[in-house]
Amino acid sequence: MVEAVNSSLGKMLLEEVSPVVMVLCTPLVEETFLKNGLSFVETLKPFCNFSNIDVPVRTSGDQLYRLKKFTLRLFNASDIKQPNVEVAKQRLEHVITQAGEKVFHDLESDPPQITDILSNPESEIAPTWFQYYNKELIRTLSFSDHEAFDHPVACLLVASSKDEEPLNKFVDLFNTNRLPSLLNDGVMDPKILKHFLLVHDNQDATTERLTSKVLSEMRSTFGNNECNLLCTNSSKEGNVEHQANPWASFKSSVPAEKLGFALTGDDIGEIKDLMQEFASRHIIPYMEQKVRDLNQQISATRKGLRNQIKNLWWRKGKDDVPDSTKGSIYTFSSTESQIRILGDYAFMLHDYELALSSYRLISTDYKLDKAWKHYAGVQEMMGLAYFISDQSIKEAEYCMENAFSTYMKLGKSGFQNATRCGLWWAEMLKARDQYKEAASVYFRICGEEPLHAAVMLEQASYCFVLTKPAMLHKYGFHLVLSGDHYKICDQVNHAIRTYRSAISVYESTTWSHIKDHVYFHIGQWYAIVGMNDVAVRNMLRVLDCGNQSKSTQEIFLRDFFDIVKKTGMKHEVVGLRLPVINMSSLQVIYEDHRTYASQASALVEESIWQSLEDDIIPSLNSGKSNWLELQSKLLPKKYKESNVCVVGESVKLDLEFRNPLLISTSVTSVSLICELTANSDDLKLDKEPSSLSLETEHNQVTTSGLSSFTLSEVDFTLGGGEKKLVRLTVTPSEEGILKIVGVRWELSGSIVGVHYFQSVPTKAKTNKAKRKNKLTPTDALKFLVIKSLPRLEGSIDHLPDKLYAGDLRYLVLELKNNSESPIKNLKMKISHPRFVNPESHEEELTPGFPDCLKKGPEQNTVQRETSRTSVFAFPKDVSLQGDRSLRWPLWLRAAIPGTMSLYFTIYYEMENVSSIMKYRTLRMHYSLQVLPSLETSFEITPSPSRLQEFLVRMDIVNRANSDAFEIHQLSTVGCRWGISLLQPVDTILPSKSILPGQGLSCFFMIKDCRKPGIEEEKTTSILPSQTDTKLITQDDDEKFFDIVNSPLASFHESERSCHGTSDQLSPNTVDFILISRLAKSSNPSAEQDLLKILSHHSCHNRIRSSIPLSWSLDGPKTMYHDFSTSFCEIKLKMVIRNTSDGFLSVSINTIDGLPDAAAPTPSSGNLSGWRYVPAITEEMKLTSDVMGSRLGKPPPSMESSPPFIWSGSSSTKVQIQPLSTTEIPLQVSVFSPGTYSLSTYELVWELFEHENASSATSGTCQGYPYYITVLQSE
Amino acid sequence: MANTACFIIVGRNDIPIYEAEVGSAPKREDAAQLHQFILHAALDVVQDLAWTTSAMFLKSVDRFNDLVVSVYVTAGHILFNGIKSFFQEVHELYIKVLLNPLYLPGSRITSSHFDTKVRALARKYL
Repeated sequence: MVEAVNSSLGKMLLEEVSPVVMVLCTPLVEETFLKNGLSFVETLKPFCNFSNIDVPVRTSGDQLYRLKKFTLRLFNASDIKQPNVEVAKQRLEHVITQAGEKVFHDLESDPPQITDILSNPESEIAPTWFQYYNKELIRTLSFSDHEAFDHPVACLLVASSKDEEPLNKFVDLFNTNRLPSLLNDGVMDPKILKHFLLVHDNQDATTERLTSKVLSEMRSTFGNNECNLLCTNSSKEGNVEHQANPWASFKSSVPAEKLGFALTGDDIGEIKDLMQEFASRHIIPYMEQKVRDLNQQISATRKGLRNQIKNLWWRKGKDDVPDSTKGSIYTFSSTESQIRILGDYAFMLHDYELALSSYRLISTDYKLDKAWKHYAGVQEMMGLAYFISDQSIKEAEYCMENAFSTYMKLGKSGFQNATRCGLWWAEMLKARDQYKEAASVYFRICGEEPLHAAVMLEQASYCFVLTKPAMLHKYGFHLVLSGDHYKICDQVNHAIRTYRSAISVYESTTWSHIKDHVYFHIGQWYAIVGMNDVAVRNMLRVLDCGNQSKSTQEIFLRDFFDIVKKTGMKHEVVGLRLPVINMSSLQVIYEDHRTYASQASALVEESIWQSLEDDIIPSLNSGKSNWLELQSKLLPKKYKESNVCVVGESVKLDLEFRNPLLISTSVTSVSLICELTANSDDLKLDKEPSSLSLETEHNQVTTSGLSSFTLSEVDFTLGGGEKKLVRLTVTPSEEGILKIVGVRWELSGSIVGVHYFQSVPTKAKTNKAKRKNKLTPTDALKFLVIKSLPRLEGSIDHLPDKLYAGDLRYLVLELKNNSESPIKNLKMKISHPRFVNPESHEEELTPGFPDCLKKGPEQNTVQRETSRTSVFAFPKDVSLQGDRSLRWPLWLRAAIPGTMSLYFTIYYEMENVSSIMKYRTLRMHYSLQVLPSLETSFEITPSPSRLQEFLVRMDIVNRANSDAFEIHQLSTVGCRWGISLLQPVDTILPSKSILPGQGLSCFFMIKDCRKPGIEEEKTTSILPSQTDTKLITQDDDEKFFDIVNSPLASFHESERSCHGTSDQLSPNTVDFILISRLAKSSNPSAEQDLLKILSHHSCHNRIRSSIPLSWSLDGPKTMYHDFSTSFCEIKLKMVIRNTSDGFLSVSINTIDGLPDAAAPTPSSGNLSGWRYVPAITEEMKLTSDVMGSRLGKPPPSMESSPPFIWSGSSSTKVQIQPLSTTEIPLQVSVFSPGTYSLSTYELVWELFEHENASSATSGTCQGYPYYITVLQSE
Repeated sequence: MANTACFIIVGRNDIPIYEAEVGSAPKREDAAQLHQFILHAALDVVQDLAWTTSAMFLKSVDRFNDLVVSVYVTAGHILFNGIKSFFQEVHELYIKVLLNPLYLPGSRITSSHFDTKVRALARKYL
């Protein structure tokens, strides 16, 4: 903490509360001094501050002390009056305006950083003109009637030696009529010290003698001590230049070097001596004397208990006097004023103890008198005296507070005093480091007048910076308040200055309203002072004002564009926030060796393509002996690190623009900013052994310029809050290195927004990362442009986007190479071979679709090549060049319902182009929506009667939403199974078409056409026509669809491989193909839809059976036998087939005679209620319900039948290999003619997983009824 | 009497995470920014006070003309500027927001549910 005296308030007090000397001079004196550009008072002013006067002083006490610092204030007599309020106001305004002009040039610079502000030393935080302003402000209150320190202590009478009768002049000067009114009307004491000064101008050499004469006359008249001679203007030429001009700081309006040019160093020394003498010899002793006198007088009248009581009594009596605050009831001679004078004199003589005691004495008096203004004045002085004498801080503050509030109570009249009091108070608090309190004091003295308030608020704000810790929020707020006030009184420069400082606080905040407010206003104001470019720079910050109301946004934008127009030029703004660019949406689409057929295919993830292309792209690492060597030959290092694009092929860039505002904005001329540099330099630096093609490039030095690439321009309008994805392209037309640097756009034709894409310094990217095509900013935006290459374009005609499951279409893939150089070695891979199947040769279908699928007259049963690879290689002779296009037929079949993405990739190699790029791929992507259509399921059960025949139940459900289908044909695949319809479908389905949601069951019989027992032999004996059956006949001569030769077969292959590959082609499965078509009546508008054919493939349908074996009993049905000779022996043959994969052991038990009714057959259908449930064990007994019930109810004819017996062995046990057949001979002996049911046998089987397995499942099967009729032979 | 109030939840680093202009007075264009200014300036005082007291509710910490700033400091030093029971209720709401796993502490609260609740509370208490 600074010592009170040395604090700024201390210095201020020393200056402001100091003896006043009234100067009275003749016009000739003024004239003399005006030669120097200064008035008389001004000439003397710099010499009135004595920093080391060293005068011994004794006031009330006996103690002598030495006065070190002392100041005199000189005033012309005419100035000794209360200043006119208006004039004072104008002067203050002038001070501010001047200061504003000074700061004008700083305004263009960037706003200060908050850290800079905080690191500044305290004295530099607030502009220096504040002190000056405060001084001026305090001066507006000088010579007030309730205070005594402005009362003149002495009077300096000055006459010139050129004056006629100078002695009379002196008398005239102190003529009471000419004295200030304050002295005359009794506010101030007119009886003051007088001092006489004769001025001699050395430039008037002639009067020198006269001067000494006048001086001696003066001395005799006014006294020897009171008269002085001052000789000036010693310099004849008047060209003295003062190194440190003492007047410079006092008078700034005239250039400093002009001041005092006629005064030599001696003259100045003389003035200095004169003033020092005047102060030390005359004024101080005079004041000393006066203090002592007054003190004595007051002690006599007021000190002591008696006087106090008397005084109180007397004051009580004056209570009734009204209006004690108004008018000057206290003249200088009143006791109160005398005490006040005593106090002020003591204060000025730095005897603060005496001053305090006098002030204390008088303050109670004033309080009792309710002379509030006087009271406040005294309190104020007390506060200052406490402060400066380093006494109780609390007391000092209390007094100031008291004074301040008392002044405030006086209302308007007291406000100015309150202001001064406040300023002092604030200074006092500042000196004590109580900045926060100081700020609040400044805030309290703001008052109504805006300019005044602005200055005070600004001072308050600086206090907040100085508090520890700095209160930056408050700082900013008060600066903004202050700026607003400055603006109200048109001090725009100051307004900008304060806002500029405030920006440093708010810059990083996210308080949007604040930010918008500050930037918008400072922008406006910069525009007012004509700094349009700075205005624009600030206004730009406001443009992203999405949170403001629509009207505010409109105002912002309107003003912004107004200012921009004023500047009259296009502004290029980096980082314009209107519209906002969503960098995460940035996507670069370019084609190197990968080319894309359409936009959609370019957006597909790279990994999908890569997995698809894995086996068709030649691997770089394979083949050659040294892969390192190979790669470096193929791709110089530089190329590997950057993306590659081809001359003439555009690089596309997708970028999302978002309008942050509620009002719509139109954005025009959006284009990329690119750089294309010839890569020769780069390559030389590389010193890589480059291939031949690169050598040629070296010679073609391309310069960067607009001509080397073309850019697309896009215009669009963004509605409020709208987002738009914009595609921008750049097409290089020369080789080199292309960099996409950023994007530019125009707003209303005058603002050019520029957004540079973040350019992070290239880190060593691994090759892997690059291949993955991760869009790291630099990698993605830097391209190596290589020579023009052929580029294949491809499309698939008429590819439907919506179709039913099973739909079979004929499509054409059209490939085109626009360049002259041919391409070869075309290969294609399709992501879903299940869906798409290329035809093996290029030719148009002769009969047209779908007739081509039908069986021709000649039965061409050549087996298609079934070994399918996933890569389809076009014939070697296919080469594309020029305008020729290649039309390659494709088959499409919607295999499963759902949304499918089909990916095609076509690999091709360039011929005759020696380039770093040997091959390219064309990627095509299509998506299909496959709707569910017919759903089929098959159940195959063995026929009970015939070993080779199976019953098939087909269930069809139409899952489509709206369309009906007609079923056309059901075929079995392969040559093994013949199929026949059990019942015409027309009888079940008269409408002939299956409506949406309708289900249908059909029954078929399939027959194994192979010769039994010979499993491996290929059977071609069956006619192909037997494998198809027509379900609904439209017309009789309609042919079957060929499922062997047509694409249906290959689709079936892929279906097979899709379904259950684990199944090792079990021969016991049947594959069906159901061919259907859309019903004619369902959609009359779309005629061509009728051509649609749907094929439904059902693969690996197993023959379902509960027991692992099937058998049949063969033998004669009817026999003639002569029973008279012997009984009849009939030979039978039982064929047992193992239908399972395991090893089967079967024993045949024959039962003679009728079965007993009490036989323990648990499967009796007559039992109800309780039923024995056998425990599920390994040995599970499987019995056929059907057989059981039959057994329980033998046919009535059997009751009367005489018995027969099974002859031969009663039990035979056989082992049957998996899927093989065994024959067992059986014999029955019949004793009488009749019809017999030979079902009285059972087969007990055990099934093993493999030959030596111990665990087995077993079961018993009852015999089938087999009737044999034996007749008596004739 | 028509009153006006501005309620702001301030997160760490003085970042406002929720703002609402509540109160029955007709909206003035400049009210929003004035309120922001005042509340922003009050943060200085709050920062001083928050560490000196254990109370969550700091009554009228700062004032500007006839606008009084009251503050409710949560344990996590998130400030609620704006009156006691109101604060308490909003604090509960705020905790609910914090419990939302999708809410990143310190980010702006955009929940419309939170907004309507706060406004309802403001009507009830202010």
